[in-house]
Parts: sequence; C-alpha cells; structure tokens
Amino acid sequence: MTNPLTEQEKVDLVAFLDGELTGEAARSLETKLSLNPAARAEAETLKRTWDLLDFLPKPEPSPTFTNRTLEKLAPVPTIALRKATPRRRPWLGYVGWAAALAVAASVGFLAVGRFGPRDDPDRELTRDLRVIENKRLYDRVDDLDYLKSLDQPDLFGDDASGS
Amino acid sequence: MAATGETSAQMALRDPDIRLMLRVRADEPGAFEELVARYQHRLVAVMHHVVGDATEAEDLAQEAFLRVYRARKKYRPRSKFSTWLFTIANNLALNSLRSRQRRPVVPWAAAGSGPLGQRPQEQLVRDHRSGPMQKVQRQELAGVIQEALAGLNERQRAAVVLNKFEDMNYAEIAEVMGLTTKAVKSLLSRARMNLRAALAGYVYMDGEPAPAAECDEDNGP
Repeated sequence: MTNPLTEQEKVDLVAFLDGELTGEAARSLETKLSLNPAARAEAETLKRTWDLLDFLPKPEPSPTFTNRTLEKLAPVPTIALRKATPRRRPWLGYVGWAAALAVAASVGFLAVGRFGPRDDPDRELTRDLRVIENKRLYDRVDDLDYLKSLDQPDLFGDDASGS
Repeated sequence: MAATGETSAQMALRDPDIRLMLRVRADEPGAFEELVARYQHRLVAVMHHVVGDATEAEDLAQEAFLRVYRARKKYRPRSKFSTWLFTIANNLALNSLRSRQRRPVVPWAAAGSGPLGQRPQEQLVRDHRSGPMQKVQRQELAGVIQEALAGLNERQRAAVVLNKFEDMNYAEIAEVMGLTTKAVKSLLSRARMNLRAALAGYVYMDGEPAPAAECDEDNGP
C-alpha cells in the first residue's frame, strides 16, 4: 500500500506531527502511516524540514532596547504646560469686543467721510451766489450791525438809490 | 487561549505575566520596565523572523510595548498575556509588511543586517562541531532557510513563527491571528508543504539516506 496521501491527509499529517490531531482522524492516520511507506517518508521529510528551522539564528534586541522603549514613555509635561499657559481673564474678552467695535465704528466713519455721498457743488454755489456777488462790499463792513444800520431809508433819503 | 468560566483573579494566579501586567495597569513603578525586559527577546525575535529586518523588528517590538502601555488601563485578563501581546505584535508586523508591499521593495537579505544581524556564535545552534567549514555551511544553511521562510506569504510566515518559535498551539495562533483553528490548520499545512519544497535539497544533506519513496517523489538533489 503505497498510495500517495490525499490533500486532506496531508493537512491532517501536519496537524498530527504538531500533536493537534485527535480522535478518529488521528487513529486513521496512524494506521495509514504504519502501512504506507510513502506516507511515512512524507512524514519524515516534513519533520526534518521543520527541524531545519532550528538552524535559524536567534535575533536579539540591542542592549539599549529597554531604555529606548522607556524613554518613549516620558510623560507629556501637562502640569508644566498648564503653569506656563497664562490664566484666562474673563474681562479681557469684553475689552476686546469693545475695542473691536470702536475700531469698526472709526473705520466706518472714515469710510463714509471719504467715500460717502457729498453735497452737489452747483447747489452750494447757487446758495452762496449773492454773498459772492457782494463780497467786495462785505469786505468793507466791519460788523453785521453796522451794515443793518445803513439799511434805513431815512438816513440817505430818496437819492441814495440813485447814487 | 481564552479560558472559559475562569475569573481574572484565577487567571492572574496561574499566569505570572498577567500578574505583572496588572501591576503595569496599576502604574506600579518599575513594572513596565520588568515587562519589557521579560518579553523583549521573544518579541524582537518573532518580529525579526516575520518582517526579516532587524531595525524594523526592533521598531515594531517597541511600538507593540508602547501600545500595551497605552492600553494598560483597559487591560482585562481574558487570555494568556502573551497571546494578547503577540496579537498586537502580529497586527503591527502584518500592517508593516502590507505597507512595505506598497513601497519599493528592499530585498530581504539573508545575511546579517547591521549590528543586530546574525552573530556567528548564534549561528552555531547547539553544534559542538564548530570547525570553520561547519561554520560556513551553517551560515549558508541559515541563509537558505531564511530565504525559504521569506518565500512564504506573510500569514503563513507568521503562523510558522508563532508555532515554531513561540510554541503556540493552533488555538492560540488562531486567537492571535484572528482566524479559526481550522484555518490555522490549513495555513500551517500549506506553509509546511511550501517549506518542504523550498528546502528539499537540504533535508537529507547530513548523509542519511532519504526514504526511498520520498526521495523518488519529491526530493531532487
């Protein structure tokens, strides 16, 4: 009896070699191994292959491994940070808002003065036209009361308008 | 392996590593350092075999320890401590390998890589015939075996390493890798067959004749 192992028997054989096969499956495989030289050869080769892994070098950590690992655990200095951070003052917020409003108002005022609507210059000229026309006369008058006193008809008589 | 019906206290009594981890959880001074010192050799070795690079293995092992520390307050002893640790480590290693696949590939050198690489005295595994020729042969053999291991896919390799070097049974490997026991059985079977094929020429190199049936079928030189 030298029939090669089936795929399932190969899977079971590895498990058997690892001590993981139990019950009926284990007994069945034991029987097959005792009767089948090909199965025994397969088992022997698998076992030897597995043993070859013992020749692999055993990697070791570097001598500083533990220290380097512990250094990474250095606690974050939360307490120190808390002390270093200035305490928040509640009134500072209100002052900030007030300052911001004042700045905004100033900017608005200046913007309106600079870019806002202006009086019509022609209308301004029309309004002041009479003043401009008589400016030469007004320059000779020292004050307004004196000018009003001149406006009395009895002071100059009827000839006044003709002169 | 998860223990059913067992309280945390009972598990802690049985597993000294759980007791140590509970001390870490309680922020007991020196406990974490003790944990790192206790597990660093095993963790770095497993990582190295899985990712194939000494520096990366140390980085990953370090990250695994840091994750353990960060999660210490949430730790509940539901299984062996080593299972929990290697679950974290395995996830890190597999993620690293997957991200490496997306980067340009650096050949996995079988020879030593820097100060943490193979050390000659370590390569003389339980060998008292330490002549120069045997030494060279063993170095070469170690290189061939490393290449064979690297030739496995990442999950097969992780399962082999946990089984071979951590002596984990199928149920423990299943827990670490998030698989069923049946899937682990299949995974390890395929891995063993692949290793057998890759190392066929070295299995009977000690002069002992190969079994006739096996030699005819599978083993070449």
